[in-house]
Amino acid sequence: MVNTRTPTGAPRNALALLGSLTGAALVGALYSRSQPTVAHSPTKTPVPDFAKANLAARRLNRAAGTLALSVLFDSALEHYRGQFRNRAMYTPLVTAAMALGVSAHGTMDQRQMPHVVRDTVYVLTAIAGLAGTGFHLFNVRRKAGGVSWQNLFYGAPVGAPMAIGLSGLLGYLSERVRETPSGQTPMVWGLPAGRVVGIASGLGMAGTTGEAGLLHFRGGFHDPFMYLPVTMPPVTALVLGRTALGPAGTERRATRWWLRATAILGLSGSAFHAIGVGRDMGGWRNWEQNILNGPPIPAPPAFTGLALAGLAALSLLENHPDD
Amino acid sequence: MSDDPLITPRAARGRAPDVFHPGAWVPMKEYPQREPVDFVVIGTGAGGGPLIARLAEYGYSVIGFDAGPYFRPLEDFASDEASQSQLFWTDERLVDGANPLKMGANNSGRAVGGSTVHYAMVSLRFRPEWFRSRTLLGYGTDWPLDWREMWRYYAQAEHDLSIAGPVSYPWGPKRPRYPYRAHEINGAAEVLARGAEAMGYKWAETPLATVSAPRGDSPSCVYRGFCRVGCSTNAKQSQLVTYIPRALAAGAEIRDLAMVGRIEVDAAGRACGVHYHRNGAWHFQAARNVIVAGYAIETPRLLLNSATDRFRDGLANSSGLVGRYLMTQSNQAVYGVMDEMVRWNKGPPSLTITEHWNYDDRKDFHGGYCWMAQGPLPVEWSAAMSGSRKLWGAPLREKMADYNHQVGLKMVGEMLPHPDNRVSLANEKDRYGLPVARVTYSWHDNDKAMIQHALGEMQRSLELVGAKDIWRQENDTNHLAGTARMGNDRKSSVVNADCRSWDIPNLWICDGSVFPTTGGVNPSLTITAIALRTADRIQMLQQTGQLNF
Amino acid sequence: MTERNRYPGYDVMAKRHSLSWNDATRKVMDARLGVPREPRFLRQMEWDTLVAICERIIPQPQNRPPIPLAAYIDQKLQNDARNGFRNAALPPQREAWKKGLAAFEAEACLRYEHSFHNLKERQQDELLHRAETGQSDASVWSGMDASLFFSEHVMSDIIAAYYAHPTSWNEIGFGGPAGPRGYVRMQNGRRDPWEPVEAGPGDETRVRRENQRVR
Ligand SMILES: Cc1cc2nc3c(=O)[nH]c(=O)nc-3n(C[C@H](O)[C@H](O)[C@H](O)COP(=O)(O)OP(=O)(O)OC[C@H]3O[C@@H](n4cnc5c(N)ncnc54)[C@H](O)[C@@H]3O)c2cc1C
Ligand code: SF4
Repeated sequence: MVNTRTPTGAPRNALALLGSLTGAALVGALYSRSQPTVAHSPTKTPVPDFAKANLAARRLNRAAGTLALSVLFDSALEHYRGQFRNRAMYTPLVTAAMALGVSAHGTMDQRQMPHVVRDTVYVLTAIAGLAGTGFHLFNVRRKAGGVSWQNLFYGAPVGAPMAIGLSGLLGYLSERVRETPSGQTPMVWGLPAGRVVGIASGLGMAGTTGEAGLLHFRGGFHDPFMYLPVTMPPVTALVLGRTALGPAGTERRATRWWLRATAILGLSGSAFHAIGVGRDMGGWRNWEQNILNGPPIPAPPAFTGLALAGLAALSLLENHPDD
Repeated sequence: MSDDPLITPRAARGRAPDVFHPGAWVPMKEYPQREPVDFVVIGTGAGGGPLIARLAEYGYSVIGFDAGPYFRPLEDFASDEASQSQLFWTDERLVDGANPLKMGANNSGRAVGGSTVHYAMVSLRFRPEWFRSRTLLGYGTDWPLDWREMWRYYAQAEHDLSIAGPVSYPWGPKRPRYPYRAHEINGAAEVLARGAEAMGYKWAETPLATVSAPRGDSPSCVYRGFCRVGCSTNAKQSQLVTYIPRALAAGAEIRDLAMVGRIEVDAAGRACGVHYHRNGAWHFQAARNVIVAGYAIETPRLLLNSATDRFRDGLANSSGLVGRYLMTQSNQAVYGVMDEMVRWNKGPPSLTITEHWNYDDRKDFHGGYCWMAQGPLPVEWSAAMSGSRKLWGAPLREKMADYNHQVGLKMVGEMLPHPDNRVSLANEKDRYGLPVARVTYSWHDNDKAMIQHALGEMQRSLELVGAKDIWRQENDTNHLAGTARMGNDRKSSVVNADCRSWDIPNLWICDGSVFPTTGGVNPSLTITAIALRTADRIQMLQQTGQLNF
Repeated sequence: MTERNRYPGYDVMAKRHSLSWNDATRKVMDARLGVPREPRFLRQMEWDTLVAICERIIPQPQNRPPIPLAAYIDQKLQNDARNGFRNAALPPQREAWKKGLAAFEAEACLRYEHSFHNLKERQQDELLHRAETGQSDASVWSGMDASLFFSEHVMSDIIAAYYAHPTSWNEIGFGGPAGPRGYVRMQNGRRDPWEPVEAGPGDETRVRRENQRVR
């Protein structure tokens, strides 16, 4: 028997809950305005705060970990489908698992200094992401039709490895924030860390939107909810970008709410996808087929990871005005 | 009462099967037999299905008759070639001529939904020039339809059937984006793609009437590959799960297991109803209009079997053309063996296509053809190996063991209309006591030239991708068309552009039999587009007073 | 007859209770496997000839129970299940089979003075070839076109019966029934866990183990 009906029972309740949370976050975003925190202080002297910098770093670890978690399960599924024909297909599993581990460690680590293992793992992870992109591109180009919709839809997803790359990048940035001596504005590559993190997660958000857009286009946008992840995150990315390039030291409540809403969107995406799997032929009983052919359950939280990174960027910017 | 859909009608007592939910029903309007309904439609397939739905949606009272059963795909369809012959028209037909046709599983369904219940879902548009092939290309005969108008109805059909096709289709004039994206191609389909690329031809994912993402109560295709013996997933957008439910919702009645044996004509020479056999007895349903949509064999058979003193040669037959100009499509193939495992039975059988020779006119024969990837199931495959390759005994079993390495390319080619290829009545009677059809078919020189050309091309394509043990299946044909052609005048055609018969103004024919030429692509999307147009025309004619009832 | 088993250990029936089968499939397959082994339509003499013909059209290996091909032909005739078309030169299928079997028997007696089913395989093949190529003795075929009968009935009916049987699917590595569960991995060389593995020379044992896990 198939469950081809609309969501019922527990999934529906879960959805309703997530939906209303998203809604609340959106409403919050709409009705709040940016409030300058230090606008009244005429000299804009930085008020470096050790605890806050550490908090931002840990938030970045959390973001990196969320992304790694999403990648770990997503690549496990996809590469299982691909039967691990190539040894290299284990790479994202290993790196994502390691990134997840060190991110958990980092999230709990209250010390204000980088950790050599974490640092190394994150750098390796970032490199693995780049290499993976190369592999996937090569795979697509090699297939009949080359770079065609068919291969973009069903070949190795070109954008996917970037997610693990981003996880590595965010972790790397977290370590740079940690190594900032107390009282200074965290800097990366000569730029204020808050801005770098903001731009990186904004770009990541845009890329992930592209990936979701491609796959939802493949699904013919058959469900109106499928438009959400291609409309909301781009706005988030823009808002975040504007914030990252704009004046620092201001409180950005709207941005913060958008980011929170996007984080929830990522989680509810998984719930939607789980319902989608249940709607496929044979429903969850036919999970062996449907978790592979149905919508990918672990993919949407990539948005959550990036939104969390955006939130970290926000607190860095707010706490370390650099101009 | 038996729940065997082949024995007891299911659409009865005010309800019809809900094909999407096991054991469930949908309400169905029922019309009394003695009061004439606006339309009786005979046949519920590619032509009848959309017509019943659209006419009902326009507010007419409509009854759709089908000789076949009303299946519930989720419950009734086994994953099995042999037993699923329940979908085919298996009553006897006699075949003769120099190249006798194969019927049954090859081209004739009998079910609510018609042949679309078991068709391969390939949904292609004609090349525009084919509607004027005599004038523009120098062969066949012109259609009375304008391609631009057909383009609109194609789009409507593609929308109604949620066709999954490529983002941009490489041949012909621009068409709107297909409602669903193309399916992932399988190994056998990729072989076509690589072969085409090696030859410098374009290829595309074949537009298919099976969804690549859920649509309403249809889950997406699960790539089980049993499409040609019925889709137990309901991913296939057959008329049974698309237009027929729409028709019921709009107030049409369906009578399953109802074989129409004769169309009655009144003293004024107008059709006034149909005699049909159901539940073991003959009944009469009065009607203001009768539309025949029984496909290229049963349609002429019914018209011929309905002869009266006034219409001695059968109904709508003053031109003498009912049953004539039968066309099939050449369906030759080239097969080969790959080193890798292909498992060609996974997924719908024809996932990729090249229409190169439909659009390239540099060839020394008339007409066009396309070819598509293949994925036959074991019984069908063994029939090709035995019937065409003439293998039996140990060699057959040995070659059959290559099943999972096998690939193939199969053409769909335009055979030219010829008056001697025809359907007539035989002396033998069927189980209802009605004379059976005699189907006479011979290939002509142009047909043979095209087949040789195509076999050569397909063989080269397989050689270029490194297939081994290549052989040619030289004798296969498939889809039917013709036998009640449409045209611009009553002498050279049976119906006009509106599918209205020249002789009897309230008798219409709307199925594959109205094709004057058959084109080099599978026919059903064109049949459906014509039916959608006919429904619109009927409404228009009535509103403008050119159709009174 | 010994032959290389390309899919050792694979048994499509092991999937019977999996999601690859639905109730409708189980029902028809049960009926197929339970076909009555005794003739119901044909007489004993005709049956013997038919059994012998089936063994030549599809010679089966000794190391497994044979697919009862003659039983399926008899069943088809008993139910008069038709294909939907008939070459106008042939009588209806029941009559065609009865005539054809009688003709093979008559020709066997005429040429070799033995019943068809008692002939050597080589002799049986010889008679089948003559029919296939239209060289049969026209007198014993009483007007029926032997080569048409051979292609339309002997070959198609018997071979279709063989490849409708799960045992033959094991042989060719066909995944068998598939629904509600279909397939996931569409590319060349890819295999879903519920599809058989093909053995190359030498890796029989490993493949057999893998195939025993196919469900
Ligand atoms: C195996 C196979 C694969 C195919 N694949 C494709 C494909 O991929 N693409 C494509 O375009 N086409 C395909 N076709 C062809 C396509 O299915 C037909 O061209 C199309 O369905 C014909 O439409 P129709 O309306 O004329 O007749 P049908 O769809 O055949 O419908 C006719 C209906 O009328 C009923 N009927 C007939 N006479 C009577 C009567 N006297 N009383 C009551 N009912 C009657 C029959 O039972 C039948 O249900 C395929 C056909 C087959 C057999
Ligand atoms: S492959 Fe798709 S369309 Fe064909 S039978 Fe299976 S689910 Fe239906």
